[in-house]
Amino acid sequence: MTGIEVFTHDCPEKAGGEYYERIAADVLQDLNLLRVISKLHISVDPKVPLFIAVGVIRKLPAVVKIHDFASVQAKGNRLTLSIGDESYLAPLLKFLWDRYGKSNVEQPDRWTVVITVPEGGAEGFEELPVYDPREDIFRDLMYAMVLIQPEGFKVRKEAYRDGKFWFVASEDTLPEDVVERQVREKFALIGEEL
Amino acid sequence: MILEPITYKGGLYRYEEMVELIEDLGGYIIQLQQIAGDIIILALVPKEDLELIRAVAKPLSGEVKVSPLVGTEIAVVSMSLQIHHLPHATCDVAEYLRQYGAKTNVIGLARGFGKRVAQLNVEERDVINEHDCAVLLYGNFEECIRYKNPKIGRGITVPIIATGGPDREALMRCIDPPVEGYVGGMGRLAHRAKRPEELAKLDEMVAEVSRVLDLRRAEIYKDPLSAAPPRLMDLILEKVEAIHEVTSPTPVTVQMAGLRVKLPYETYAKPLRELELEQGVRLGDIADVLPSRMRTYIWVRVRPFSETKVMV
Repeated sequence: MTGIEVFTHDCPEKAGGEYYERIAADVLQDLNLLRVISKLHISVDPKVPLFIAVGVIRKLPAVVKIHDFASVQAKGNRLTLSIGDESYLAPLLKFLWDRYGKSNVEQPDRWTVVITVPEGGAEGFEELPVYDPREDIFRDLMYAMVLIQPEGFKVRKEAYRDGKFWFVASEDTLPEDVVERQVREKFALIGEEL
Repeated sequence: MILEPITYKGGLYRYEEMVELIEDLGGYIIQLQQIAGDIIILALVPKEDLELIRAVAKPLSGEVKVSPLVGTEIAVVSMSLQIHHLPHATCDVAEYLRQYGAKTNVIGLARGFGKRVAQLNVEERDVINEHDCAVLLYGNFEECIRYKNPKIGRGITVPIIATGGPDREALMRCIDPPVEGYVGGMGRLAHRAKRPEELAKLDEMVAEVSRVLDLRRAEIYKDPLSAAPPRLMDLILEKVEAIHEVTSPTPVTVQMAGLRVKLPYETYAKPLRELELEQGVRLGDIADVLPSRMRTYIWVRVRPFSETKVMV
């Protein structure tokens, strides 16, 4: 599959496993996630029933800070932001409202935001983080896994740490240690450690 | 008179000639659809006149194709209406069956998904039983199909065609009690069927549905119906004024042994029962006029000759 270096599956039923590899490829392609994942292993056992997906994500873009898309001019405790890239304007406004309150944030036109900050608030303002793309990618990945898994597997558990993610789903509740052992085993199949 | 199910596809130009010809030959028009400048007619025509119809269609640049499923209503049963099963697989099957003339209804089960949790409720069962046959779209695993089939198939009295990911032999092995038709290698998928091998599978499915329905037809011929459903459709269209107010594409849907009349049961059941067919024979004498579980429609089930001793 284009983009993914290692893509494997295991399943007690040969035909069923192949179908799921195809479904995974289609879903990841539809959601533009092929370039995000470098390794992926899918395991389906209809007898238990259990669905496990483990994978490694490629290096992701860094956290977006204010200076990445806007220039700041300070005049006393009033800061004027000239927006260069509108893509991050929505998360920026949300961030500013939460931090300084709506009454202290004005947007006189589409490309300008004026903020009244407290005494000393202008220092290090440009370095403030606005948007973390990793959160969105993890959410998209988990959505993709829900689409790939057999329907009706309502008991789910998922995690993301250090560029690795895993997703486990079943119809029945599963003991914690079984889930962890199985996830470790599946990571080993793609040459990774949890 | 043996009737042959056909589809006529042509332009708007002089299509009325085709309509008149089919009616004059004693055939029945099941559905007439106008899509932009095209006309699609689903009809039942006398077998011996097929070549004549082809000859008349030629100068009109029309195409006449034998469509074995015209005059049947098929339930396409999806295990749920979630994105896992729709639009691909379910809609591919429903749309493909329509190309061969069938009237399909997609029935999404409320709790058909999963293995242990799968179930079929009474309303779903009754709706499925109002069709000529049911195509059950199972998933990709033998284990799941083996486990859930007895629960999903329970109480369904119409012929079942089961489709699923495992091959045909594996399906036959894992489905117990056995069903009437099997189509293997056609399970859940996340893309539209467009590759040659996928289209071949859909063709195989149509062939299997046709085979199962032919067996049902043969059974019906052993004890013929008191009236042919297409004839009853014509009479209802002729004598019941209100049917022309219905906006559905098929206000009267023809089935192999009945009709679905898309009028409210409460108001129109009595007038329908009293509808005179010929020489004092009323519809109520030769058919059961029942409330359909689909909306407030009426389901007319034609009784066989052995029961009524009347042939219209």
